[in-house]
Amino acid sequence: MPVLPFVNTRQRQFEALVRAHSGELYRYAYWLCGQAALAEDLVQETLLRAWKGLEALREAEAARGWLYTILRREHARLYERVRPGLDELDEEQHAAEMAWSDPERQGSDAELRAAMLALPPKYREPLLMQVLGGYSCEEIADELGIKSNAVMVQLFRARQKLKEALSERSETNHGLS
Amino acid sequence: MDCLEFRRQLGAEPGRRDAAFLAHRDACPACAAAWTRAQQFERRLADALAVTPPPRLAERMLLAQATGERLARRKYLQRGLALAASAGGAFVLGRFLGTRDDDSESLRALAVAHLPGEAFALGLKQPIAVSAIEQGFLNRGIRLAASPPPDVTYVHDCPVGPYRTVHLVMQRGGLPVTVIYVVGHRNRAHDRFERAGWHGTVVPLRAGTLVAMAANPELLAGAVRDWRRSLDGPAAGGPLA
Ligand SMILES: [Zn+2]
Ligand SMILES: [Zn+2]
Repeated sequence: MPVLPFVNTRQRQFEALVRAHSGELYRYAYWLCGQAALAEDLVQETLLRAWKGLEALREAEAARGWLYTILRREHARLYERVRPGLDELDEEQHAAEMAWSDPERQGSDAELRAAMLALPPKYREPLLMQVLGGYSCEEIADELGIKSNAVMVQLFRARQKLKEALSERSETNHGLS
Repeated sequence: MDCLEFRRQLGAEPGRRDAAFLAHRDACPACAAAWTRAQQFERRLADALAVTPPPRLAERMLLAQATGERLARRKYLQRGLALAASAGGAFVLGRFLGTRDDDSESLRALAVAHLPGEAFALGLKQPIAVSAIEQGFLNRGIRLAASPPPDVTYVHDCPVGPYRTVHLVMQRGGLPVTVIYVVGHRNRAHDRFERAGWHGTVVPLRAGTLVAMAANPELLAGAVRDWRRSLDGPAAGGPLA
């Protein structure tokens, strides 16, 4: 039975992938979409796609970046399906609403978490890739298809916006919660 | 490297370690202080982002792959998404074609179109605390007159179109029932509708309007009764809808 060893290898490779990466994929998904339940769904969808396309993965070291890429696309697809034709402004407003809709907002450093979720996607995505994924500016630029100078600017502004949001909240302290 | 360039790089990549960058830090006390603050902020950021994955996540992912089984929630999510596309599409189209939307027509459309953005809420199963529900209403300036129903799994003070609302989900007989209470806008009359697979009812209640939606129309009357009781007080729980 020549097929069996192959199946076992593939299965074992997949299990290793899941055990090594599902936690960090979940974190990345959570901060992309802002919702625990949806994040879990995104991870599952990502891993099922990875399982189907496992042959495309040549080396184990590349697995992490590959999974991040699949997850990012799954998330983008979800938005295409959920919010047809909404412009970025709506999306930003939506993100700000979502920032307050999750039990995680009760967790530690709720202000920073809320500020993170309220950050427009074009700032949030590169920041997540850098902080959670350990991507360099060049890698982020490749992944997002923009110039690495532009990535630098977005990363700079992302942090600036977070700090602004934090100081506004601590000055007025009249938040929703 | 000058201070400006150092700060630019520090803001974008606080973790960088290249020689020119570190040399400026070590030579310039003001930038060294900024560097220390930046490292503190990065630690705080990393801590804040370190959300805990759900327990046994890897096992459940492997099980899903092995059995081809989806999480139960997925069904609701996809259902929500499918409805979303049609509801949102129909609504936008209606507006551009110049359909004359009366009051309750636009309220229904907005309410149905609001569901997909929080499709995940339809799948939540764990009842939430009474205090969280009360807080959701208090955020809108409303004090409940009596206890809310015990099976609320989601509450959020959502904007829905131009309206300020409290968005709630209850689980009844294995199905989600969504209630959107519109604050400060009282619809003229009771109204029923069916839209994008959702049965709904629109009921003026206190100084606002309650919109209840479910896949099964039989679940609506009970939801309206429960919320009428909670908003108006125990005396108001008579038959309705
Ligand atoms: Zn300097
Ligand atoms: Zn809502």
